[in-house]
Order: sequence, then structure tokens, then C-alpha cells
Amino acid sequence: MATDTEPKKIIIDTDPGIDDAMAIFLALQSPEVEVIGLTTIYGNVYTTLATRNALHLLEVAGRTDIPVAEGSHLTLTKGTKLHIADFVHGADGLGNQNFPPPKGKPIEESAAAFLVHQAKVNPGKVTVVALGPLTNIALAIQLDPEFAKNIGQIVILGGAFAVNGNVNPAAEANIFGDPDAADVVFTSGADILAVGINVTHQVILTSSDREILASSNGKFAQYLNKILDVYFSYHQEAYNTKGVYLHDPTVVLAAVDPSIVTCIEGIVRVQTSGITRGLTILYNKQKRFGEIHEWSNKPTVKVAVTVDAPRVMKLVMDRLMDS
Amino acid sequence: MASLINNANGAVNGVVGNVEKLIIDTDPGIDDSMAILMAFQSPEVEVLGLTTVFGNTTTELSTLNALLLCEIAGRENLPVAEGSSEPLKGGTPRVADFVHGEDGLGNTFLPPPKGKKIELSACEFLVEKVSEYPGEVSVLALGPLTNVALAIKRDSSFASKVKRIVILGGSFFALGNVNPAAEANIYGDPEAADIVFTCGANIVVVGINITTQVQFTDADLLQLKESKGKYAPFLSDICKFYRDWHVKSDCVHGIFLHDPVSFVALVRPDLFTFKEGVVRVETQGICVGHTLLDQGLKNWPSSNPWTGYSPVSVAWTVNVEGILDYIRELVMKP
Repeated sequence: MATDTEPKKIIIDTDPGIDDAMAIFLALQSPEVEVIGLTTIYGNVYTTLATRNALHLLEVAGRTDIPVAEGSHLTLTKGTKLHIADFVHGADGLGNQNFPPPKGKPIEESAAAFLVHQAKVNPGKVTVVALGPLTNIALAIQLDPEFAKNIGQIVILGGAFAVNGNVNPAAEANIFGDPDAADVVFTSGADILAVGINVTHQVILTSSDREILASSNGKFAQYLNKILDVYFSYHQEAYNTKGVYLHDPTVVLAAVDPSIVTCIEGIVRVQTSGITRGLTILYNKQKRFGEIHEWSNKPTVKVAVTVDAPRVMKLVMDRLMDS
Repeated sequence: MASLINNANGAVNGVVGNVEKLIIDTDPGIDDSMAILMAFQSPEVEVLGLTTVFGNTTTELSTLNALLLCEIAGRENLPVAEGSSEPLKGGTPRVADFVHGEDGLGNTFLPPPKGKKIELSACEFLVEKVSEYPGEVSVLALGPLTNVALAIKRDSSFASKVKRIVILGGSFFALGNVNPAAEANIYGDPEAADIVFTCGANIVVVGINITTQVQFTDADLLQLKESKGKYAPFLSDICKFYRDWHVKSDCVHGIFLHDPVSFVALVRPDLFTFKEGVVRVETQGICVGHTLLDQGLKNWPSSNPWTGYSPVSVAWTVNVEGILDYIRELVMKP
């Protein structure tokens, strides 16, 4: 049983991002896991800024021992027209607070090379928590045919399973950011847990939760309270709600403790063209089809279908206030 | 003159006025046959004609089967207008003969009909009737939407003049039946479906997420067989093949009532709830034929392919028992 107490090694692939910041802090506050690196990607901000923000957040946390590896600036198909959600997270990605630039630097290794390297030296032991578009993960798969086998698990925030998307009616933002990469990852054969917005939309930090964070002495609670304004305004405009969705924190906590979600197993494919580009379709094999189709004979993944939202919220509040 | 047919029809039903004028666009098809015969038995509608399309069978065979159904029902004078034999983009259509049999009627191999199709094509007939009775004619579309799209393209006023179009098609936030992404009717002609859904007409869509909830079990089929229903022997015969396919494909000991449920949506919308929103159809990639409804849960920050189109009504929930009762009553009606 000794191995059970050994913290799970995780790498967070991230585009910070307000809820990314919360997720990173939660991971650092979780004794069940050991964060062995951050890799960066575009999404909420461009990759360069994601790297700056990742370094900054580690400095805020006093964890400059954790390496940051910069990820791709382009999509898997070398696309440069990126969908950047600065209107959700602020121009700086962190609620327009204009924090001073970080002192630290990213490591020389690229995100994909770092992922491949870490999976190789700790085969079966590293969990990747992917909070942005899946370009770095797809590049790691292309870089090393063994990566899908070496990596312990990939926990993905992405997709909208049997619900509307959040970029447009068809697509969720992370998958929409690089649909080709997402399809590579979902069909790679790695052990994958996908948590879509059908699940993360159930985990809401209300304005009264925020007041509780603000009144606590927790370092992370205080920091997050400062950057949350922009995120609350966006949710008010987009969804007419006085709360915010905790996408990234839910996914990090699903990696920390998989029992907070329930899953079904099936094949996920991503539409890479047309008006529904970025659409994720899960085939749970319940129905048989007369003909061979694009989901036939592909490896299965796990897709979260329910979440214990009160438990997630309790973990979020407790761990952010106790900091 | 068309009025002769209308009078004949009105006389059969014994009802004048307040009946809904209806054209059924169809690919019979076993469940199509059931829906058509239900329409013939229903006092609430006056069938103006049948238009045919590929899908369960080829268009040519659909036409023969439509004529045959008219003869079985003693409606030899009802116009049957043949539709397109291929989807808008061309090519040989996919035909679901493994579901409906080689003859489209469960391999019952009935003698050919004596009647003939009319000279007008399906889209010409649709345009003519809708122009003749603006705001009064409903279309029940039970197959791929090629003919309806051609009618919309032929006459720019078709969408505003048609009373409503009730469509069996799509799968909303659920698996398809051709593959995980697509339902057969929409998959049959995705370009046509996208034209129809975005044309601005009053549209009601019933997807297989709804129709697969309404099944005739083996017990229901037995009850039908033993009933005094006017068309019960015929329907029982053709349903055997269809039922056996359901066992193989879906482990369902019975049949899905796709087309009959769509007919019920036309005459008894009170047995459904609907969600209003823009529907678009994917026309490329691995999800070709996927129907996607914007539920309107989010204020989109910028325009997207759903922006600016008229909403349609998508069947959202069903009163399963209420619909089954209604279908049972019509198919077992002497």
C-alpha cells in the first residue's frame, strides 16, 4: 500500500487564464499530487503570455522550483489564426491587473519535448492535466510513438458532450482552438479522461462564495478575488448569471480525486471542418451500426457525465482559504 | 382539376372545412406506409397528394409503393408526383433496403400498382399546391429533404406560403442511426436539409431522439394483427421484416415508429413539447449530416453560422402513452 501514498506526478498544460490560475493553485495545495511542471499553450491568451503568466503564478505561490516549458504558438496544422479568449480573461489573461513581469524563465525544452521526456523517465506515472487546446499533447504523440503508452493518464478539459458549445452552438473553446490536435489525442490510445462543459457548467462559484474567499486570509483566496472581476462580468454578459463556471479547477480536482466524477466509456471523434468544426461526438457503443464508420475500431476514452459539484466546491474553498 | 380530388377526399372523411391540407413527401418504406395509411384514416387531414423521394428505397420504387398504398386505400385518384432520384449534390443515394427490404415493403413482393404517377415532378407539385392554397398546405417530410429544398429553390415564395413543414429528421444531442453523428434522412441529403432548416418557413422537426422513445412492442404488433383495423393485415405483413431488423440492430423486440410519430406531431402537437432555435446541418467532414440546434442558452460574443436565421421548432419531449394511444387508434380503425 506504500505506493498509494506516493503523490501522483502531474504536469499541467495550461493557458492562464483566470480559472487556470485557480486550478494551478489548487494543484499546488493538493497533497495527493506533485506538480512536476507546467507547459504552456495559447487559448485564453497567446502562448508567450501564457508562459509569462505561468511563471508569475509560480512566483506568487513561491514554487519557482517547478519548471515551465513553453508550448506551441501555432495549431497542429501550423495555423496562425488562433481563437484567443481575452474577452473572457482580460487582455493580460489575469483580470487586467498588470502584474509585474516574472523574474523566472521557461526551460529550454519545448512543452512537447518536456512531456515526452517526463513520460519516458516515469513510465505510467505521470498524469497530464490539459486545460487548453491540445496542440502540445498531439505534438508529444507525434514526437514519440511511445508517448501514448508511457503517459499515465491525460485528463482533458474539453468538449461539449450532447450539449451546446461555448464558442458557438457546436464547439467548446479548447477543442475549437485546435480540432485536429484534439482528434489526434482522442484517438491516440492513451488513457484519457475528458471532462466537457456539460460537466464543468455544473460547478459554479457564486458571488457569495467569492465574498467568503475575499474575507479569508488565504494567500491564494486573496489573489484570486482580485482577478475574478473580469470573469464575473463576462459570465453576467454571456449567461446572465452572477456566478462563474469553474472549468479548470473541476478538471484538476478530477485528476486529484477521480471519484468526484462518474464516467462512461466510448470513442470520441472531433469534427475538423465545416460549420461544426470542433464538435465532439461520443459513441458509447450502445447502438450497433450496419456500416463501418469513422468511429469504428478506434480506442475508447472515458468521458465524465456527472460531477459531485458540492464536493468540488468544498475542496476549492477549503484549499484556497487554507493557503 | 385538382378540386375534384379535394371534393372526393372531403366526402370520404365526411368533413368539410377545418381539415388540414397535407402533402406527404415520402420514401415508403414500412413506417412511411403506416404513417400514410394513418393519414388516410384521419379525419383531421385531407391528403392532397404524395411526393416521392429516395431513402428507404430508390425514388422509382418509392413511387411504385406510393401508388400501391393509394390503391390499397382506395385512393386511386390521389396524385403521386415523383421526386428527385438523387441528392442535390448528385451521386447515387444510400438506400436502406436492409431495414425495409428489397421492395421497401418488408419483402412482401406485392403485385405492381396499376396507377401511374402524375406528369408534374414532386417539387413542381409542391409549388403548385402551395401556391394554389397559400397558407393552407402543410408538408409532412418523411425522407431526405431534396424535394422540399428544390421547391424552395424553384419558388422564392414557397417558404412563406407553405403553412408548415413537419420533418422527420435529425438527432438532437443524441446518437444518429447511420453513424454516431448522423440520422438517415438528413444524411441522405445534408445540403437540402440545411436549405430547408434555414429557409424561414414554419418548421417542426422530430428527430430520432424523440421517435425512438415511441415503440410498438411485439405485443402491440400482435394486437394490431388481431385487430379489425382496415389496414391491419397489410401493416402486420410488412412489419415482420422491419421488426426483425430492430432485434438485430438495436436489440429492440418491436419497432420504432419514426414516421407515425412525425404524423402525430402534425395533427396532435399537444402531445409534444418543443424547443425553438436555429438548426444547421453539417455538410462536410466526419459529422456530415449532423443536426445542431442552438438552444439559446448563451449570448454569443460574435456572429457564428447559426446567427441570423429563423428559429424552427424542435420536438423536445413526448407524451409516449398519448402518442401510442393515438397511433393504435388509427392503425386499428376499421
